Amino acid sequence: MTEAMLWGVGTSAYGRFPERRVEALAWEAVAEAVRDAGISPGEIDAIVVGSVFGPPGVATRVQRGLGIPGVPMWTVENACASGTSAYHEAVEAVRLGRFGCVLVLGVEQMSTLFSGAIVPEATDPEGASSLPLPGLYALQAQRYAGEFGVTPEQLAAVAVKNKRNGLDNPRAQLRASAPTVEEVLASRMIARPLTFLQCCPTSDGAGAAIVGGARGKRRDLRIETSAMVSGALWDHRSEDVWGYASVARAAERAFAQAGRTPAEIDVLEVHDAFTIGEIITLEALGLASRGKGAELAPSGHTARDGAQPVNPSGGLLSRGHPLGATGMAQLAEITWQLRGEAGARQVARHRVGLVETMGGGAAGMDGNACVVTILARQT
Amino acid sequence: MAELGVGRPTKRRAGSAVGGLPVADSRPVFAGDAVLGTRCSACRYPSSQRDLPWCPACYAPMVAERFATTGPVWSATVVDIHVGTRKPPFGLAYVDLDDGPRVLVHLAEPAVLGLGSRVRITGTDDGDLVATEVRS
Ligand SMILES: [Zn+2]
Repeated sequence: MTEAMLWGVGTSAYGRFPERRVEALAWEAVAEAVRDAGISPGEIDAIVVGSVFGPPGVATRVQRGLGIPGVPMWTVENACASGTSAYHEAVEAVRLGRFGCVLVLGVEQMSTLFSGAIVPEATDPEGASSLPLPGLYALQAQRYAGEFGVTPEQLAAVAVKNKRNGLDNPRAQLRASAPTVEEVLASRMIARPLTFLQCCPTSDGAGAAIVGGARGKRRDLRIETSAMVSGALWDHRSEDVWGYASVARAAERAFAQAGRTPAEIDVLEVHDAFTIGEIITLEALGLASRGKGAELAPSGHTARDGAQPVNPSGGLLSRGHPLGATGMAQLAEITWQLRGEAGARQVARHRVGLVETMGGGAAGMDGNACVVTILARQT
Repeated sequence: MAELGVGRPTKRRAGSAVGGLPVADSRPVFAGDAVLGTRCSACRYPSSQRDLPWCPACYAPMVAERFATTGPVWSATVVDIHVGTRKPPFGLAYVDLDDGPRVLVHLAEPAVLGLGSRVRITGTDDGDLVATEVRS
């Protein structure tokens, strides 16, 4: 087995860019990642692309501008985990010695597909019954509240933390203000108990990474593990709230492979599409015991200057959520954090970082897919 | 020229409810005194899906089944935004049918019912199951 290393990352800005071509967003991210990795584009010997809404052939349209013809290339779709699923395939391929240097790209342009809230997938029972994604998370939140007693203020504290962090992220879509708990709760109700400021915006953007073998560069990050799981049945037998089990399965595998415990993680980027999502995810990752995840944000544990900063970038709640690109944006943030290049967002301890992306929405499954990867600075 | 990406119809396979093309309906069917679905002939796993290739729990054949129209609420919410043709506020709940699967229902009254509240499927609205709280 070859050791897989992260050589470089790049992203576009995140926001509404309907006037830009989707491949131009991708090129911006790829160019930065190639520069960051210190390679020539000609050294890339495979390309993996994560995207949910395409357009069809988006990978080839991106490839057209790169001058990397004829290499193996494929596109993966795993809902919100599409970008990190592409990354996972690249990591596995490098580990197995299949390729020496892989370009991973996540790209999404949603402003040209949706105006307003995303309409749910009409072929699915839940989508046909008009269950929007915030509604699915609201059902999760109501169940969680009924079981463990999470308060509206605890939910809002996640939004306050992440939106404050986002003020220091120049690439974030939302960085105008850091609301108070009261302002989060007073914002327009979307699906009870989730208010507008507890929901991430849909976005356009791209993220890229170069994954390769060990090459003797101190700046490269060691990919200790990447774990990917698909969904399992979520039905009348499920005691966990929707989504919990898929994250827990990926996390269990990731920590076992890396030989680490949750307490050893210095900084995390996790899937906070909605405030309850971060709480459930941190429990599934083992940062808190069942029913205690809601205390993490109010206690300061997950603050940027806390014991285990979570979403120092501002998370999806600030950055926005360009589905296929989101995992790559998380990966870029953890890379900058571990290298000490995160500027005003820099966390104090930054040797080991974790990225978690959970994509879901298919009815009756506990998620479409989840990826958890752990990276470490070389010592 | 209109601003790019503004005011367009949503177009990602949105179904006829929002002006797209009609798609096959995968929702549970209400038959007046039962919710129709399938059940595993070996392990009794219930599903509201009628076209499964085999039991997703044990791979044995599935057969047609009629489920009770009553059950406890697993979780409920009220949605305060427009979704498709649904105008806010509207109540949604996951209900574990007493002898059957977990199904998503619309609530006759838009209220956040507590966990375990008893409801009965009382009809359909545009193909969606509609449930009413059963007060004892
Ligand atoms: Zn069975």
